Amino acid sequence: MKNKIVICRCEEITEQEIIAVIKQGYTSLDEIKRILRCGMGHCQGRSCQMIIARILSRMTKQPIEKIIFPSSRPPLKPIPIKTLAKYKTTGEHK
Amino acid sequence: MKKTADIIIIGAGIIGAATGYYLAKNKLKVLILEKQFPCAGSTGRCIGGIRQQYTHPLSINVMLESVRIFSVLKNEFGKEVEWYSGGYLFLAHSEDKKQTYLQAIDIQKQYQIPVRFITPDDCLQIVKGLNPEGLLGGAYCPTDGQANPFAVTYGYLDGIKKMGGKLLTNTEVAKINVTGNKIISAVTTDNQEYFAPVILNAAGPWAKKIGKMVNLDIPVQPERHESVVTEACERLFDPMLVDYRSDGCYFIQNYGTGHFIGCYTPVPNDPGENIKATSEFLTEMPRRMARLVPRLGNLKVIRQWAGSYEMTPDGNPIVDKTPVEGFYVSVGMCGHGFMFGPALGKYMAELITQGKSSLPLDDFALNRSFGKKEAMK
Ligand SMILES: Cc1cc2nc3c(=O)[nH]c(=O)nc-3n(C[C@H](O)[C@H](O)[C@H](O)COP(=O)(O)OP(=O)(O)OC[C@H]3O[C@@H](n4cnc5c(N)ncnc54)[C@H](O)[C@@H]3O)c2cc1C
Ligand code: FES
Repeated sequence: MKNKIVICRCEEITEQEIIAVIKQGYTSLDEIKRILRCGMGHCQGRSCQMIIARILSRMTKQPIEKIIFPSSRPPLKPIPIKTLAKYKTTGEHK
Repeated sequence: MKKTADIIIIGAGIIGAATGYYLAKNKLKVLILEKQFPCAGSTGRCIGGIRQQYTHPLSINVMLESVRIFSVLKNEFGKEVEWYSGGYLFLAHSEDKKQTYLQAIDIQKQYQIPVRFITPDDCLQIVKGLNPEGLLGGAYCPTDGQANPFAVTYGYLDGIKKMGGKLLTNTEVAKINVTGNKIISAVTTDNQEYFAPVILNAAGPWAKKIGKMVNLDIPVQPERHESVVTEACERLFDPMLVDYRSDGCYFIQNYGTGHFIGCYTPVPNDPGENIKATSEFLTEMPRRMARLVPRLGNLKVIRQWAGSYEMTPDGNPIVDKTPVEGFYVSVGMCGHGFMFGPALGKYMAELITQGKSSLPLDDFALNRSFGKKEAMK
């Protein structure tokens, strides 16, 4: 049954796939994200990262607060190209 | 002499991974030291484009070999790497650009690259919905393409591990010990010492810092390059679309996933180690994409990020042995390291194991004059 549990709905990644990657020795959310794409989908990991963190914490026997989350990247919510294209911002963060 | 490995590679990006793989195939005991995790540097920030459309004969030859390797990596790894030859289309919106591309094509033809200059109508056939305004045609090579940088890099690294090599993550090299001009060992920030007669600097944007550890000046300067990715959609077009106007951009639809990913080269350039993403880019890039292909307007941008191009004074890599015995460099990829990686990995492995590579890399030498710049930039 376990292989039927979808953890990352955006990228359709199952619990079994995640467990397999952790067993191969990839024990950070950043690496799991890069290998399986879970967290790179439409919701940018809002739905799945906490669940994956819990699996990782359980399997690596680390407390959940020790798990490092991938950087949050803008935009916070998907925005259409034509909406963004209307805004003009210049010279920031230089 | 004490020995932990035959060779220590600093950096687990595409360069360290590919070179390590071909060295391990040559029966060398490989140890990769990586300060974070694989693909944490530029490789994990790259958009996966692969092209042969260069003007420097050495770059063309390297890319002919890389494309050959990319096309067989799936078999080599027994795993998908999402190689897809969807081509590259360089758009010309001025007579000047058109001439640059025509001259480049003359050179590329000598190497049997199936590149041609196509009419605006042909461009519109290949990229439905392309804005024809001001378009004079484009340089199109259907055998260019794309692959997944994570899949390729992890594929190489898994291969290294299978052949008995080792990768240590969260392991940062702080010091390199040299005695009598010979490489002895690398010391990490947690004070571990790893011994090997050969060290390869594959530290990407940090290459200069690693060079300093052996008192070598390696002219590599990081420059910030940003990127956005949209939500996925059905396949709209195949090639990487390149618009090299000063306010242009380049983007491609990811073959494996259907997301569009793209960047532009900031004018003026943006040197330094800052790789924070800017809100300027988040609005400017969509504007440029929508100008080029207006029908993309309703696609949503889901993420932006930034990374480094590792620039050298002439826009070509530095792949060489050095005056320090046992110290090699494969750095300064100038934003093309993913596509150069497989072939340069193979040639660097030959240089290290046989003393010379089957393709002479003289034009990528550390002590060259850094004169003429690559025109296809
Ligand atoms: C936005 C963007 C888009 C791009 N698009 C493309 C493209 O379409 N096609 C293409 O071919 N290229 C592209 N590139 C360029 C490409 O990503 C790089 O040229 C390539 O990834 C360089 O690989 P590398 O292995 O040399 O460096 P990196 O991937 O940066 O690897 C270097 C590694 O060294 C490690 N390291 C550094 N210092 C130390 C130390 N002291 N000890 C231990 N480890 C250390 C780092 O953590 C890092 O993992 C793009 C780059 C960017 C930023
Ligand atoms: S559920 Fe994983 S990215 Fe949305």
